[in-house]
Amino acid sequence: MTNGEVKPDDFKVSVKSIGVRARQAEMVVQLSNSAGRALHYIADVRTTRYDPATRRLTLAMSDAGRVLVPSVIEKPPIFRHIDPGGNAELVIKIPERIIKLSRSAPPGELAFETHPLADIEEVVVDIAWSDVPYYKDTRASAQEDPRMPAARWEQHTARVVQQLDRGKLKAT
Amino acid sequence: MAMFILSDATGIGSDDLDPLQAFVDMVIIANDDGIGLNDPAAGMQQVTYARTQNGPPQLRLDTLVNTAFTPDYGGGANNVDTIIIAGLKDFVLDDGSSFADNGTALAPASSGLAGSSLNPTENCLVIYDSQQNICVARDGSGGDIDLSISNPVVLYHEFSHAFRIVNNTLLALTLECDPASPEENAAIIDENELRTQIADRQGETPELRDPNIHCGQVGCSGGCCIIASVASRSWSSRQVQALRAVRDHFVRSTEVGFAFFERFFHDYYAFSPQVCTLMEKNAGIPGVLLEGYIDPLLAFWRMMIQRSQTPMDEAALGHLFATLHPDRGEASARFDALDAVVRRWLSGGDSDAEARELIALLVERAWPSEYVQWALIEPVRIYRQLLSVLLDDTTPGSIGREFAAALDAWAPNFPLSDVWGVFAVEDVVRELQFCETALMQSASGKRKFRERLRARFAGVTAVISVLNRPLGAMGGVA
Repeated sequence: MTNGEVKPDDFKVSVKSIGVRARQAEMVVQLSNSAGRALHYIADVRTTRYDPATRRLTLAMSDAGRVLVPSVIEKPPIFRHIDPGGNAELVIKIPERIIKLSRSAPPGELAFETHPLADIEEVVVDIAWSDVPYYKDTRASAQEDPRMPAARWEQHTARVVQQLDRGKLKAT
Repeated sequence: MAMFILSDATGIGSDDLDPLQAFVDMVIIANDDGIGLNDPAAGMQQVTYARTQNGPPQLRLDTLVNTAFTPDYGGGANNVDTIIIAGLKDFVLDDGSSFADNGTALAPASSGLAGSSLNPTENCLVIYDSQQNICVARDGSGGDIDLSISNPVVLYHEFSHAFRIVNNTLLALTLECDPASPEENAAIIDENELRTQIADRQGETPELRDPNIHCGQVGCSGGCCIIASVASRSWSSRQVQALRAVRDHFVRSTEVGFAFFERFFHDYYAFSPQVCTLMEKNAGIPGVLLEGYIDPLLAFWRMMIQRSQTPMDEAALGHLFATLHPDRGEASARFDALDAVVRRWLSGGDSDAEARELIALLVERAWPSEYVQWALIEPVRIYRQLLSVLLDDTTPGSIGREFAAALDAWAPNFPLSDVWGVFAVEDVVRELQFCETALMQSASGKRKFRERLRARFAGVTAVISVLNRPLGAMGGVA
């Protein structure tokens, strides 16, 4: 929501490791802040998207693109910050598979798509960040904005892409 | 036609769905045996309901099951059924949102209502995680998110949304969860009606959700104590209450405590339900477990709570242990019970089939977890060792030395959760202060723990910067 003092590449993400630990596939990413002020980011995975054609898994720590639906709860994002000049490490769990409603089922039929993720070839991690902590936007105009509140808050998204050998994430 | 439970579908295995749980949850909502299911057809079972009770949940369920809804969303009236999809671990919606530990009701695709863009069908889909561990805000608490939510209540919350979807009366949804939107406020009010009714059935005081807060999280500092509950035959036995108090003392106020419990809870539930099943099959196990394991475990952790509140040197530790075991006969009986558990279950000395099955289960699922080892196994070993010293007629001073040495070896092995990696400096200071005050009170204990932190989080600036300060330079920790 503010701007100017920080640059998009002040918040960097790199992959420290990726593999299987205690039967759970996970990726450890290192976050670094080269700005002169603390940078704030979302620390939990908000969306998981998989493209079977490219075998690309995108784990987004961002509310961009999320749709408002009735639900039992709304889980607010987990916000963290890194001090200026600091580094942090984030462990991101990679699911074994994802299941989605299918859009190619015959009319009137309910069907699903199951995508095992042990064969993914590329993992993309997107992390939303800003130079201020999250706070509610109480302006009347905000009520007209269809974006999730944390999507309005984010200034930038830091991205890292990791190529994988197929089958690397199979649990042993 | 109105309501169905999905039991199978193209693209998933039948194991991925939990239709039986959905039916059980509806039976609890209905609170009578008038609810039923027709035979499966095309992967779905139609729900039938001959209502006998007149409470709001029963009336709502009756309406949803026995009404043919034909709402007009703007393109003419069309039949809309409600399809319940329970289970589905690893399910994500089209926008990538996971519905693990949540539930949703998606309006028909052409309705234009909230969620319709994510629904490829023209029915109302009620989707919920039947293995959820959701925590919500307790009414009257000012926003404390510490109230768990049972599956029937989750389902009933979604039925509230479904009711308004199929009647085309969905209220406004807003993007913030506090305060709750009109639609979620209405669903929570309905949810509380079921909570109240279930509590009345059980003769308990209802615990209600705050209807003005829709925010929630995964885990209420966990549930608790399934093994102790089964062993003591009650969810509110003194042992279970004492274990909850231990959990709350160490977990509630700190991030590290919460992260520890989250992981411990995950590992604990990898074996504890099966332990309970074995206890039900073998009447001899619960009593042995209660006397020879749970009570000693509690005794240890109660001492840890006292120690966390007042730093204790060797003399104080010895005095504490001796004071808590004034009766030699009782101490001896406890030692015998503990020893029997160790010999019977940890040394394979029992020929009973269920006990062997229990041992095999623990070896495979419990022992490999460093969280279970640290919280449940090592404390009992330490306690047994101290009892043995006590019964050898040694002085409180000797007991204190043994106690201090045992804690020095155990406490610094407190499992390091990944959460340390995302802490800022002030977080590290606060959390390290908690660990060193509550657990590692000696200089050597602190040193060992700090060494582990340094080794594990060498690339985390905040952790290294705090560890590089001299001991005692952290706001009084020394």
